[in-house]
Amino acid sequence: MELTTLLQQLINGLSIGSVYAIFALGYTLIFSILGIINFAHGAVFTLGAYFTYALTGARFGFNGIFAEAQLPFGLPFLLALFVGAGLAGLVGVLVERALFRPLRARGADPLLTLVSSLGIAVALVNTIQYFVGAEVYSFPSSVLQGLPPSVNFGTPEAPLVVRTVQLVIGVISLVILVVLTWFINRTKTGRALRAVAEDSTTSSLLGINTDRLILLTFFISGFVGGIAGTLVGLSVTITGPYFGIAFGLKGLAVIVLGGLGNIPGAVLGGIVIGIAENLLPSSAVAYKDAIAFAILFVVLLIRPQGLLGRTQVQKV
Amino acid sequence: MSAGTPLLELKHLTVHYGAIQALKDIHLVVYPGEVVTLIGANGAGKSTTLRAISRIIAAKAGEILFEGQSLLAERPDRVVRMGIAHVPEGRRVLARMTVEDNLLLGAYIRGDSAGIADDLEQQFERFPRLRERREQLAGTLSGGEQQMLAIARALMSRPRLLLLDEPSLGLAPIVVREIFATLRQLNSAGVTVLLVEQNATLALQMAARGYVLEAGSIKFSDTADKLMIDERVKQAYLG
Ligand SMILES: Nc1ncnc2c1ncn2[C@@H]1O[C@H](COP(=O)(O)OP(=O)(O)OP(=O)(O)O)[C@@H](O)[C@H]1O
Ligand SMILES: [Mg+2]
Repeated sequence: MELTTLLQQLINGLSIGSVYAIFALGYTLIFSILGIINFAHGAVFTLGAYFTYALTGARFGFNGIFAEAQLPFGLPFLLALFVGAGLAGLVGVLVERALFRPLRARGADPLLTLVSSLGIAVALVNTIQYFVGAEVYSFPSSVLQGLPPSVNFGTPEAPLVVRTVQLVIGVISLVILVVLTWFINRTKTGRALRAVAEDSTTSSLLGINTDRLILLTFFISGFVGGIAGTLVGLSVTITGPYFGIAFGLKGLAVIVLGGLGNIPGAVLGGIVIGIAENLLPSSAVAYKDAIAFAILFVVLLIRPQGLLGRTQVQKV
Repeated sequence: MSAGTPLLELKHLTVHYGAIQALKDIHLVVYPGEVVTLIGANGAGKSTTLRAISRIIAAKAGEILFEGQSLLAERPDRVVRMGIAHVPEGRRVLARMTVEDNLLLGAYIRGDSAGIADDLEQQFERFPRLRERREQLAGTLSGGEQQMLAIARALMSRPRLLLLDEPSLGLAPIVVREIFATLRQLNSAGVTVLLVEQNATLALQMAARGYVLEAGSIKFSDTADKLMIDERVKQAYLG
């Protein structure tokens, strides 16, 4: 493989890998606080993509209640991205209030909660289909208005061409990763989040309103999920209501690979899988989605706790 | 000995864990500035009493008043904001966070960053060992250091009432003396203390009054001096 091709694939891998990373953080944040995988996360990812799509003023297709509908205005892409993610975050909040909190209050078994979140995922997917049908949607090319379709980082003789879309999604996800890491490690609220993740009863004895922080966690989780949904939709297409389900499985591979509940682990896992997928020779590209699970399988044989996972949390 | 309005008052407090009755018709009063101790054998319901005050378990019946205001409708975080800090049984420091993070979390309810910085300094002066271990993960501290951290963390909220659950548990006598000396200082600085102890001698030396809890009920209460020479207390708790 030529060096420039390798570099090109590394950049592409890093770019999609950081999208995997922010998506996986959505799982990880909830897992580290409640010890539960929120299977509705993939559906929230899908919703984020549709919200942004609608907010850019793009038109829906021929099926569903919203057939041929279109907002009377169109937001610039970046604004639509964040507003769409905010709406996805609110869906996350709704899922917590309607499902997770009542089950928690009844002391439900985590397995029950997990299965219920799967139920919510199915319900959300069907709702999406009811409203906008099962068509494939592409963001209009005008969303990246003014930008050239690709950038050459090499020389005319030895080109190192990267699609602008890849750069855009990579930069946005990296910025979100940095901001989220700063928030969790450097702010008062982030410190309280870490405290609730470690011991929620003790946190409430310190004056932390744990339910409110859990709500915030669901918002952040939905927000990053929504961002990831839009970015993947932009990079490829929005493949229909089931868009987020396959992606959701890959997200699970990412968090298990990195170490369940481990934030740097989710980031590392996302980037490893993103790069590995892109280094795949073109003859094997049909197996791209299997790569995540192949890596997961091998790593777990050697390190059952994942790349950065703790073997066993020591309770003092 | 103390008159005026009680700082804390439990009336007819009853608590259940599922079908098990853990507390039955508890009456207890703490006046401002006092040190009051609650002594009793394992399983008597001492920790349960403190948990009920902090609202991390529900009361089935009765009333809990703090400065005359009912706590029963409050969430645990609100109780802290009202001025009650609880040092739980087994210390419960946040093991995966640094000593400093633990202390700052103790001040979570406060917004005055200058005051918080002052208080942090004050805790480090009170417990110099915590200063040396400021960046260390709390889970790597020794038992005694963790107890110091748990107390210092509670003080960071500037409580008016401190609930302490067995601060002497599992600690060497010299560390216990150190911690109790600190508690005395705190009390003379105006912090009211409700102290749960199995080490009754220690508790009665420090407290002005005591309550004896047996199988979920208050058996009797008196001044600490009288309890110290009470035959029933001597037999059961002073060994
Ligand atoms: N979570 C719980 N579920 C069921 N029963 C409980 C629970 N916690 C405490 N109990 C029971 O309630 C009673 C009082 O317990 P509590 O912890 O208040 O005792 P204690 O006086 O603090 O004892 P110790 O000195 O051993 O700490 C005990 O019989 C105990 O078994
Ligand atoms: Mg106890």
